[in-house]
Amino acid sequence: MARILCVAEKPSIAKAVANHLGGQARAENVRGNQYTKNYKFDYNFQRWGQCSVTFTSVAGHIQQLDFHERYRKWNSCHPSELFEAPTTIHIADDKKAIASNIESQAGYASILFIWTDCDREGEHIGSEIRDIARKANPNMQVWRARFSNIERAHIIQAARNPVQLDDAQANAVAARIELDLRLGAAFTRLQTLHLQNMIPQRGEDQRKVISYGSCQFPTLGFVVDRYLRVRNFIPEPFWYIRLVHEKDDINVKFSWRRGHVFDRMAVIIIYERCLLAKLARVTKMSKKPTKKWKPLPLTTVELQKMGSTFLRMSSQDVMTAAEALYTKGWISYPRTETDQFDRGMDLRRIIERQQQDNHWGAFAQSLMNGGFNQPRNGRNNDKAHPPIHPVNYVVPTQLNDKERRVYEFVVRRFLACCSEDAVGEATDVELDYGGEMFHAHGLTVLARNYLDVYPYDRWESSQNLPQYTVGETFEPTEATMHDGKTTAPGYLTEPELIALMDVNGIGTDATMAEHIQKIQDREYVMGRPKGGAAAGHGGNGGDRGGGRGRGRGRGGRGGRGGAAAQNGAAAGGVQEFIPTTLGIALIEGYDNVGFETSLSKPFLRKEMEVQMKAICEGRRTRHDVVQQNLEQYRAVFIRTLQQINVLKAVSSVGESVVDEVANMAQAIRKYVVEANHG
Amino acid sequence: MANNLIAELSQHLNARHLYPTAAWLQSFVSTTRPNTPLPALKQTALFRLLATDITTSLSPPPSTVFPSDVLNANIQSRHVAGPILCQVLDIEDIGLSRWSQVESIEAKERGEATKGREIVRVVEQENDYENGSGAVAAAIQSKGPFKLLLQDAKGAKVYALDLRGIEGISTGMTMGVKLVLRNVDVRRAVVMLEPGQVQLLGGKMEALDKAWKEGRKERLMNAAKAVG
Repeated sequence: MARILCVAEKPSIAKAVANHLGGQARAENVRGNQYTKNYKFDYNFQRWGQCSVTFTSVAGHIQQLDFHERYRKWNSCHPSELFEAPTTIHIADDKKAIASNIESQAGYASILFIWTDCDREGEHIGSEIRDIARKANPNMQVWRARFSNIERAHIIQAARNPVQLDDAQANAVAARIELDLRLGAAFTRLQTLHLQNMIPQRGEDQRKVISYGSCQFPTLGFVVDRYLRVRNFIPEPFWYIRLVHEKDDINVKFSWRRGHVFDRMAVIIIYERCLLAKLARVTKMSKKPTKKWKPLPLTTVELQKMGSTFLRMSSQDVMTAAEALYTKGWISYPRTETDQFDRGMDLRRIIERQQQDNHWGAFAQSLMNGGFNQPRNGRNNDKAHPPIHPVNYVVPTQLNDKERRVYEFVVRRFLACCSEDAVGEATDVELDYGGEMFHAHGLTVLARNYLDVYPYDRWESSQNLPQYTVGETFEPTEATMHDGKTTAPGYLTEPELIALMDVNGIGTDATMAEHIQKIQDREYVMGRPKGGAAAGHGGNGGDRGGGRGRGRGRGGRGGRGGAAAQNGAAAGGVQEFIPTTLGIALIEGYDNVGFETSLSKPFLRKEMEVQMKAICEGRRTRHDVVQQNLEQYRAVFIRTLQQINVLKAVSSVGESVVDEVANMAQAIRKYVVEANHG
Repeated sequence: MANNLIAELSQHLNARHLYPTAAWLQSFVSTTRPNTPLPALKQTALFRLLATDITTSLSPPPSTVFPSDVLNANIQSRHVAGPILCQVLDIEDIGLSRWSQVESIEAKERGEATKGREIVRVVEQENDYENGSGAVAAAIQSKGPFKLLLQDAKGAKVYALDLRGIEGISTGMTMGVKLVLRNVDVRRAVVMLEPGQVQLLGGKMEALDKAWKEGRKERLMNAAKAVG
């Protein structure tokens, strides 16, 4: 009987999959790591027949890329040397027990079957596992399971159809890790060494690190950009004309096609011309069927945006809850770009399971009884995972509050996708009045369809419009001129930030929430409920003090699943972000140094992300991409170094510029006072 | 010979509603080379004249300037047959707030433009100050309406409104461009421009155009602050 070693990305997946395959699998402890277990059972994989299985797990990345010993200390070398300093890969200190478990288990087994999550990071973690196992047992066969949810039948299917690890994806991640290490460390050390003294310190030993990350900075840049737009905004008056016509006892309001105009004289002249014309003439009258389209299948970015808009949760919290739901087998893999369901997928079976719910069960039933419609297809397909959808039914009371809200959203969204567009009738009337066009729009909702299960969209009947005929003339009951003022945009909200990051290619759908959290942890921005009171940002511990000066873009994946950051601020409504003094100073500083492509702008990073894709698709090599990016960032580095005084100037005036702002008083206090005692 | 040439040129220019002063014609002819073919001379004369300030270079018959009481705002509406030749001294986009125009100028200075929510880098094309490629870009951005300041050959300055969108009129146009107006409606001392009534002859006033373009952002900022 062949012995086979299966390795999942985290303990919860190992447990879930082992139980699906082996019934009540026997769990053995792993020495040195209390969370990791080895599950032992026998199983008949079609390909290899009856096997004796050991199913274990890692906890995110096991290996760590770091500079050679000589370069690790803060003052060991000039930061610019970090662009080419030699690096080593070693097992992370806290992963040694996990690695040695894999090594010893590999010694007994002839086949390694990797069950890491099916995405780029998962592919890379898989390659780390392979390296470790092969070191112990060079003759091992290596296979990989392709799966996108933890539902039993799906897992069994995956167990029957092993595939090969995708080295291209693993290479893309390796390139990203190297770039994050070099760029993060070089710029973090440069910034910190030059700017540290300008920022109030909390004592000799606890020097503040000013970390840099190639995703963090553009993310911060978006927040600062908007903040400055709000601060600099000047309201301006505008004028407009409105018509009212009473017909069939209905007061029909017509609005001006021009919206509004910023010149009073012009509007008065136009208004006079309208009044002189006396009669308005109907130029268009149309009644036509209209639809409100049902939503597209759910992607990660959409889940995060909707979550922070409707579920009163931060994107990070949404992802943590979704991750937990996935691990327990309630929903499919929550990191996906795909917004089209595979034609062959049996969606009815998924709907069927939702029929028992008290709230949406009846709707699911109606879909089963002939109401089903194939979901719309979006334009994205990452070829790895289907859109996020419910897998099994869970009674909501079994879930904690956040999970329950996310689960309900995922289910409702899915049912909405399988329903029908809402149907209505739109009435449009257009008038010519003194050469100006006015219009009225009416909507009658005829069938709510998907809206019945999806309260996150609103579409409601408006006032009924009376019948008009083209060519008909009438004297408006009222024609009035009004004025108004432009208002400043709001501070950047979390869904807006996610949308900006998404279209500008900052981070992947899977990491955006982490970057947003990072710039808060770094105290570059503060989150607060929109339009809300002073920031109630809970006490996440300050930076880790001195350390080794590496600001990694997204660190490892150790934090996934288990220990997601606890953020006290998120409760209640959409979050909006305000940069701190330091955040503004850094962005302005880099902008003032005047590179064509400031680090605060998304362009460089966006290009890097595109190149990662190119590696995945086999069009570029890892080496090429790393070298090209290092060259580009090195140019920026050299310019920064030459003009470091510009950066310094802004950092020191930064405080006086902003502390007039009432909202920022807190931020400054945080900086000057709390940071010193934290 | 010279007189003959002057007559030929006058005829050519007058057909375009341009009536240069005798002095201007003289000085133009004196700069030409004797054996340049006539069609080329006509072209050159037109080009040069369009680049002048018409308040000094033209001596127009009364019908090609605004009525003397054009600025009387008590007159609700009047018809002016023209054709009137005038030059553009200023243009404002009154469909957008001044501040939003400042923001887009600043984004352009940083080499950025937004495409929806995506920030895209724009690589400024060299040159083309001359050929008005800026005009094309601006026209895509805004449909106005626009408020213009026009000046006729007698120096009268009149506001005009382009409410319908006329090709060639936008905040990207060159200052000093010459227009011919026919059968326009003047309301409360403001000329209402309609597509069929405006003919763009082209041309520019170099110094004015340069100063206008350089000072645009500051003018917009000051105007926004003044009203805001």
